[in-house]
Amino acid sequence: MRDLPKDQLNPKIKNVWRINDAIWLTVAFLCLFIPFLIALIVESAPWIGITLAAIAALYVIGLIVWLVILPPIRFVRWRYELSEDYLDIARGIVWRKRFIIPFIRVQNTDTRQGPILRAFGLSSVTVSTAAGEHEIPGLETHVAEQLRDRAAELARIAQEDV
Amino acid sequence: MTEEQRSPESGMPPVPPSASGEQQPVQQASQQPAYGQYPNGAYPQQNPAEPMRHKVHHSYIWLGSLQVAGMLIVIAFFSVFSSVIGAIADGESIGRADAPVLLIVGIAVIVGLIVIVGLTALIQTLSYKHLYYELGPDEFNLYSGIFNKKRVHVPYQRIQSVNQKATLVQRLAGVCTVNIDTAGGSANKAITIPYLQNSEAERLRTELFARKQAILSGQAAQAAGRANVVQGQPGAVYPAGHPLAGNVLDMPAEILTDVRGVFGGAAVDTGRVSYEYGMSNKELVLTGLSNNTGFILIVLAALGSVAGLAEQILSTAIGRMLVDNGVNFVMQSFAGNTIWAITGVVVVVFLVVWVLSIIGTCISFGGFKARRRDSRIEVEHGLLQHQFHGVDIDRVQSVIIKQSFIRRLLGYCELSLGKIDAVTEGEEGQQKSLNPQGLVIHPFVKMNRVPEILAGLVPEFADVPTDSRPVAKVALRRAIIRRGILQGNGFWLAVVVVVGQLLANALLPSTEPDAASILFFVNTGAIVLYVLCALLLVLDIIGAVLWYRGSGFSYNRRFMQVSNGGFSRESVSFPRKKIQYGFLKTNPFQRNARVATINARTAAGVGGTTLRLIDVSEQDANTWLDWVKPGGSMVQ
Repeated sequence: MRDLPKDQLNPKIKNVWRINDAIWLTVAFLCLFIPFLIALIVESAPWIGITLAAIAALYVIGLIVWLVILPPIRFVRWRYELSEDYLDIARGIVWRKRFIIPFIRVQNTDTRQGPILRAFGLSSVTVSTAAGEHEIPGLETHVAEQLRDRAAELARIAQEDV
Repeated sequence: MTEEQRSPESGMPPVPPSASGEQQPVQQASQQPAYGQYPNGAYPQQNPAEPMRHKVHHSYIWLGSLQVAGMLIVIAFFSVFSSVIGAIADGESIGRADAPVLLIVGIAVIVGLIVIVGLTALIQTLSYKHLYYELGPDEFNLYSGIFNKKRVHVPYQRIQSVNQKATLVQRLAGVCTVNIDTAGGSANKAITIPYLQNSEAERLRTELFARKQAILSGQAAQAAGRANVVQGQPGAVYPAGHPLAGNVLDMPAEILTDVRGVFGGAAVDTGRVSYEYGMSNKELVLTGLSNNTGFILIVLAALGSVAGLAEQILSTAIGRMLVDNGVNFVMQSFAGNTIWAITGVVVVVFLVVWVLSIIGTCISFGGFKARRRDSRIEVEHGLLQHQFHGVDIDRVQSVIIKQSFIRRLLGYCELSLGKIDAVTEGEEGQQKSLNPQGLVIHPFVKMNRVPEILAGLVPEFADVPTDSRPVAKVALRRAIIRRGILQGNGFWLAVVVVVGQLLANALLPSTEPDAASILFFVNTGAIVLYVLCALLLVLDIIGAVLWYRGSGFSYNRRFMQVSNGGFSRESVSFPRKKIQYGFLKTNPFQRNARVATINARTAAGVGGTTLRLIDVSEQDANTWLDWVKPGGSMVQ
């Protein structure tokens, strides 16, 4: 494969991913766990206990995979580079993707910041074209704003028409 | 909105519908001059700060009301009919004593209908008064709504295509519905202007395209002036010696077009035609024949009769073997005849449906014409329901040459143009089924005519690359595995059958005679299915080999082309500047085999289209990705 783009995300993004995934996993876990727990309290049967144990085990495995194993790999694989007139993104662990997005096709760019990202002082930049958008998650806020302004500036020379 | 209502121009009350209904069709609002005053068919020069208001045709009121009333009458008829039938079925007889009741009910129904129709007419009248459009200096505005005012802005440079549609009644009245497609993100919504006079629609179309062109070329200030220049050119001029293929349905379609309906108004010169073609009789009939729904029905019917035959043979053979009983045998043969009779009826029904669908397709493509007019491509078709599509050349995203299996056998193809489609409110599903991909510029054309048509219709696509880079060598092996096994119908069917057979054999005790006969059935059926699986597998593998041989991509300075082969073939050419972004995608197996999937994303369709070619060699893929980069086309 060719050289990867040189820039990496802010390392703090790993913790953002961890918190995000932990929230989703916990919500899904509770949705499954609580009904069976109620069933166990109302009428205790051995199979309900086994199901509860299985769900808990799955939850723990999920936590290990998404909180310990995946974030570093994802971080290493996520690269981007803002060149003179195009945006280069490489990402994906199993299915690796390499995007080239010319700025003259970019219609708008914006920065977004959710509560978790804000807590870490990060922002994400979204670059949209007429046929879909790309998000670069987790950049330090001032880097993100720089990137957005740069992309917007380059996009200004884009032809309006598609 | 309120500010506009106070403006002096619109201060006068609109002409009441009852009065305008008997007038000449051209008059819309009393303060507007008649169309005859502009010989070029152009809008008069106007102050850009105060755009003129244009109203739709007054048939909006009465045709719209008629439509609603018709629907209501049909509903009322059916409900009355069903209740009467229900009463008769309950054993009630209608006697003389019931007459007063019936009379009252009848009067009530009629009064109710009149009230509803009146209300509809009132609502239509009110909404007609508040429905108008303006051509502003750099955007098109559509105002509507009685209480909830709605104003839709369309910047001229956002316009993708302007389409016209008319039902038979609308055609007779000389009005049509205009749809303006825009590129507005993934949830594209089309703007619909209902009941516009034909001449008004033509003028609007010309004007919109002219203004868009002007703005794009940076002459926003002279938009109106330029429109005049465009329209000042002489009318239709055909290149000499150009063969204009026609068919039987062209004549009635032309008559309908020439008559222009009661309120159609004079034809508007919308620009110079440089190329035009229709469909020959043969092409029309072939289009009808290849109509897929009809074809699938026929195949189903054929399969049904084959299944019936198989069942008969099977049951008689087993009947002989299991119980060698004469009476039983006769019974089974008789049952077989019933099956034959039913199959026959089914086949006849399907044949009738098929023929009807052929005729339907032929009528919907009757009067098919595709032409190049200035910088626009226009396609119109439909004998009863007339459709007209107009798209500017720089809005064409791609040229698609599609060959289904049948077309490929005959050496024909379907030609279409990819464009950004918009979803019309309320008819999402319908629109998609009618227009699956882009704008069909010829549904059934011989392959050797394609270059000529493309050269005439879209000369901009002339230097499309022809040297095709094939997919990597290893792609053949990967394609056979992918199509034969991972996505293989035969393979997965075989898996299902094996599991089913094993389960049946394991669960049923073979000692009982009943179970033994069932098992016999199961095992015989499984063998038949295995043969079918083998057949499907062979077809899948042949498809994979054909895909490998027929697939490739190529690109030059301005264009790129992607071909995907197989039993059916699709080849898409698109300009480099219409590629929104490109990406490579690899899975671990592909990385191991040093190949990649190339993907070029364009904005065609609703929300974009990805053009994909699997298993291009890594080196080719990287070179291609460099080409996608801005300025990349210069490097090579």
